[in-house]
Amino acid sequence: MSGFTASNSRIRVIETISSVDETVFDTDNDMPHIVGTTYLTNVAVDFDDLDQTQNYVGEECVPTYTLESVLVYVPAVWYNFSTYTPGEWTQTYDWYYGSFSREFTSGFTTYHREFTSGFYEWESQWVYDECGTYVPYYEYSVDAEEYSSVTNIANLPTDEDGTALDIDFVIVQATGTRSTGGKDPRFNQALPTTVPTKTFSFQGSVLLESSGEASGDSWFRRIMSVYTSGSKLKLRVQESVKSINRGAYNSGFPHIGESRSTYSFNLKVFFGKFRQ
Amino acid sequence: MAIVLKITPTRFQASGSKLDSQRRYIRKVSSGEDLRFVNGQNMDVSGGGLRYVKPNGTNLDDGVYNGNFSGSAGTRVKV
Repeated sequence: MSGFTASNSRIRVIETISSVDETVFDTDNDMPHIVGTTYLTNVAVDFDDLDQTQNYVGEECVPTYTLESVLVYVPAVWYNFSTYTPGEWTQTYDWYYGSFSREFTSGFTTYHREFTSGFYEWESQWVYDECGTYVPYYEYSVDAEEYSSVTNIANLPTDEDGTALDIDFVIVQATGTRSTGGKDPRFNQALPTTVPTKTFSFQGSVLLESSGEASGDSWFRRIMSVYTSGSKLKLRVQESVKSINRGAYNSGFPHIGESRSTYSFNLKVFFGKFRQ
Repeated sequence: MAIVLKITPTRFQASGSKLDSQRRYIRKVSSGEDLRFVNGQNMDVSGGGLRYVKPNGTNLDDGVYNGNFSGSAGTRVKV
């Protein structure tokens, strides 16, 4: 039954809902409240460049060729041919008689025969000479990596005896900037980041960066977590990288040396307790 | 004028109704919660993949994750 009691330094309020007594207020227990707020500025998060390894795949042939020449005899040949000279009419005018006369000369064929002497000539060609040398070829892969670092970024609120309070929850309001935008080692483009340009709130962990393979499977993650442990507020920074291959021989990842990302966060941390 | 203290058979109000028996003050419970408050790390990465720990403590992996992180369930809260 709803009621109010005050006895022996204890004040208690009960609300009865659907025949169930629920405590609204009890001085023997905590009320939900924020027990402390901490401001942290310029919290740095730094992810190093990724690394790559040159992997020996095999050897490939670099062929050599030899120029081979052969002396070839081209035999002598007779060449027969004919030419035809066409017939023609010749017309003459006789001034005395005042008349024309015409004379026809028949066409004729002339036969020719020419001789070309035999001779020698050199014929040359490049002949494959097997593998003169073998050269190794390589494929590059991003090194797999699991990185984690934990730092204490604040002390938890304490009671009057200096003992850290038992915190029920932590809410973080954050603003952050990515000071260095790391590039995907495969492409000339920055890794997508999930950090918004305005204030955001989170509890626990935040995904900072990720990247996927052509299949869509993840191969790269960067996260951070803020949580309490013992008497400290901790920041854990993690990076996980699955090895991926370049997909081409003798060609490294062009942007492997530009994959470092750095962040700077301002954190407003609320430490809270619920009523028991 | 603000209520300093008012007690009726069905309601208690004090301090200008800042304390009111009809308000649903959030409280931690051991069961029968209305929601859970995440308290602690709730993501982990391994093998290039990600594990997300849901507020009830169960894991949600991306199919690549190969670690063994086990986060804790959020605080049970009733309003």
